[in-house]
Amino acid sequence: MSINENGFKSTDTYIASEELMSAVNVARALEKPLLIKGEPGTGKTMLARAVAASMGMKLITWNIKSTTKAQDGLYMYDTIQRLYDGQFGEEGVDDIAHYIKLGKLGEAFTSDEQVVLLIDEIDKADLEFPNDLLWELDQMEFYIYETKETIKAKIRPIVIITSNAEKELPDAFLRRCIFHYIEFPDRELMEEIVKTHFDHVDDNLLQNAMDVFYEIRGLREVKKKPSTSELIDWINALQLGGIPYTKLKEELPFLGTVVKKDEDLDAVKKNKNQFT
Amino acid sequence: MFTDYFYFCREKGLDVSLSEWLSLIDVLDRGLAHSSLTEFYYISRMILVKTEHDFDKYDMIFEEYFKGIKGDFDDISETMKKWLDNPELSQMSKEQEFARKQIEGEANHLDKEDVLEKFRKTKQEQDSEHRGGTKWIGTTGNSSYGNIGGHMGGVRVGGYTGYQSAFQVIGERKFRDFRNDRVLDNRQFQVALKKLRQFSSRLDVPKSELDIDGTINKTCNNGGYLSIEMQRPRKNTVKLLLLMDSGGTMIPYSSLLNELFQSVNKSNHFKDVKTYYFHNCIYSHLYNTPECENGDWIETEWMFKNLDSNYKVIIVGDAAMAPEELYSTTGNYRGPNDGLSGLEWLNLMKKHFKKIIWLNPKMAPGNAPWREAETVCKNLFFMRKLTVDGLKEGMKYLMQSGN
Repeated sequence: MSINENGFKSTDTYIASEELMSAVNVARALEKPLLIKGEPGTGKTMLARAVAASMGMKLITWNIKSTTKAQDGLYMYDTIQRLYDGQFGEEGVDDIAHYIKLGKLGEAFTSDEQVVLLIDEIDKADLEFPNDLLWELDQMEFYIYETKETIKAKIRPIVIITSNAEKELPDAFLRRCIFHYIEFPDRELMEEIVKTHFDHVDDNLLQNAMDVFYEIRGLREVKKKPSTSELIDWINALQLGGIPYTKLKEELPFLGTVVKKDEDLDAVKKNKNQFT
Repeated sequence: MFTDYFYFCREKGLDVSLSEWLSLIDVLDRGLAHSSLTEFYYISRMILVKTEHDFDKYDMIFEEYFKGIKGDFDDISETMKKWLDNPELSQMSKEQEFARKQIEGEANHLDKEDVLEKFRKTKQEQDSEHRGGTKWIGTTGNSSYGNIGGHMGGVRVGGYTGYQSAFQVIGERKFRDFRNDRVLDNRQFQVALKKLRQFSSRLDVPKSELDIDGTINKTCNNGGYLSIEMQRPRKNTVKLLLLMDSGGTMIPYSSLLNELFQSVNKSNHFKDVKTYYFHNCIYSHLYNTPECENGDWIETEWMFKNLDSNYKVIIVGDAAMAPEELYSTTGNYRGPNDGLSGLEWLNLMKKHFKKIIWLNPKMAPGNAPWREAETVCKNLFFMRKLTVDGLKEGMKYLMQSGN
């Protein structure tokens, strides 16, 4: 029996390659976090949603920002609230457990059912951030110093971590992950992806738009390569604008939805005759 | 089980750890790879390889171990690969498209062994770059070997796929662009520059910031009577001085330098950044703009007085100088020398600043006599090529303490 038969599959709104499906299922079988890297717009975040949806699990998302610390995911000790309460002699001030609030990781650990935990854009945080989570992700437990209490996962969550490759992740962290790099979708897959986003797309329009899209991506002068979401926006704009597909390659209408930088726009216009 | 492969990977420079290997064995034991080589390839890759930079390496290791088809082609010389690596030719003209269709039929009859044999032979004979033509290994041609050719079913050597049909795509190298040794782009610059951080909380600075959490906590424990807790500020203390060569020989690298400059400017985590320009070598003046106009400059001496020795210095230049530009006290043909030769000025730089690296976009290995100036600079400074690896090593050097 193949690994993919009983696990995660493509959903109505998310098309996963065979390779990606087995990555999800291997990570599940080995109980290791799945690290997803890829160009922006290749659907890294969407994947977690799809996994949760296809397995009927709850998704808990931890969005990482540049100021996020590992501790934030575990628990917060609300000292300010305690100070307030202390000033007015509220009841329970002497019980610190009152002021411990679990973070996303804590939430996932304490859940009674298996959940999908998405740690989104882990590379946004400080360089040391992933290392600070090693133990917690390995053992699926952490210790609350203030209350001398250990929070341990009731059922190991499926952990999906995404990274835009902005920062390199530490080796020790990488060794504990299953790694998958989402390649930019090829034409065939792209066609499927686009079709999941629209009820109806004119085939000629789609083909012409994709011709231009892949041409633009292939231009060496273009610095910021357009991604899937930009193609979808463009096709949406073209449909709403009622542009006949015959004019598409000549006039390149609404090009601004695909190419966002001035210098890239110039490069595309310069090479326009290649598209026809 | 096949522990050989584990050692084979490590031998080929893929740093696989024992725990990763055991995970892989675990997967195989459970039969998750379904005895399929393709699934095994993906599963082993996702467990053993943790960065897309190494995918290319892994592809080659996997190919060599499991197919053994690489052997014969390993010795394709680097130069030959360069001739074949011509992405700008990948736009096929209509005529070639037509020619291809004609040849397609005939290609189906080609014998694989025959083509390989010819390929080996031709490889030995060939001594120059070829485009077009029907015999040699080259680009846009119709012989059975080479790259971006119109011939179907031959041996493709490196480069980009023209028709995806070569029966042995020698080194498909789909992930080659991700390799660490390629020249950098803006984002990677920024990532590398982020390594230049030194938070003062790790240093001996006074506790000058109010620790709010600590204060509140202490106050609570103190029965509501205020009790102040101070902490060290957490700020990056790294100051950066960027010196860029804008001499004539650097023009081919101008977009690369532009990227580096932009990344330094975008990196807002430095305490201070100063950027100056020089022409071929550092003399008594440094220019404020890349145009290097006389008058729009600062004195190098002024810089020594005003920028303390803790500034981390990155010099970017190709160190392509004529000997007199380095050794003569009148060697600066653009501006004043102020009585010292270029080499003496460089030595002053080295004396003043604790940490200097030199990034050279076209640094070549070895010490060829016609690149004497490069050799001198290489001996004087920590010089690396301007690539991801080079920059990383440079950043590491800059952050080392001591010496």
